[in-house]
Amino acid sequence: MNRVRITPTRWPRVYTFWTMCLLALLPIVAGGAGLAGGARAQAPPESGTDPGMIKGPADAPVTIVEFSDYQ
Amino acid sequence: MNEYDGRVRLVFKDLPLPSHALARPAAEAARCAGALGRYWPYHDRLFASQPAFERDDLIRYAVETGLPREPFSRCLAERRFASAVEADVAQAGALGVRSTPTFLINGRPFVGAQPIENFRAVIDDALRVAR
Repeated sequence: MNRVRITPTRWPRVYTFWTMCLLALLPIVAGGAGLAGGARAQAPPESGTDPGMIKGPADAPVTIVEFSDYQ
Repeated sequence: MNEYDGRVRLVFKDLPLPSHALARPAAEAARCAGALGRYWPYHDRLFASQPAFERDDLIRYAVETGLPREPFSRCLAERRFASAVEADVAQAGALGVRSTPTFLINGRPFVGAQPIENFRAVIDDALRVAR
């Protein structure tokens, strides 16, 4: 049987290959986690609205955010 | 709003569509009116006066709703609220809102000018869930 033997001289090369793969994947994984986190942390749509453009009490159980144009 | 007094809060966001050339100046004008303390009367006036939103119209509506002509005209000319309107447009894009009117009722999308009964049904449902 042909066995691949990892000789002491091959170790560094194998190690380097998988390390490079992991390093290459790291930004993708981290980026995905960042997007997911960003979506979770997205501010409610009413945030940042000029108070003059809001009607009704802040503690109302229902908030209607209306996106509209005048024309 | 009167029907649901104290139980509903309305947040208005500007989404002037690119196909409506005069919608953006109208939105900016409404914010100028707001800065002078008359946002909702002016807002209602704009909806009642669609689609006449040339500059002179916007100034005339301001005067007719009790706003001082000079500071309103200056605010409009300086486009003081252009970036604020743009921020709403960007937020709409981020939320996937593409058409007007779009309502988010406790976060639930409700698209288009629908019959009042449909609104009542969604609001009543949201009130039940919130209880």
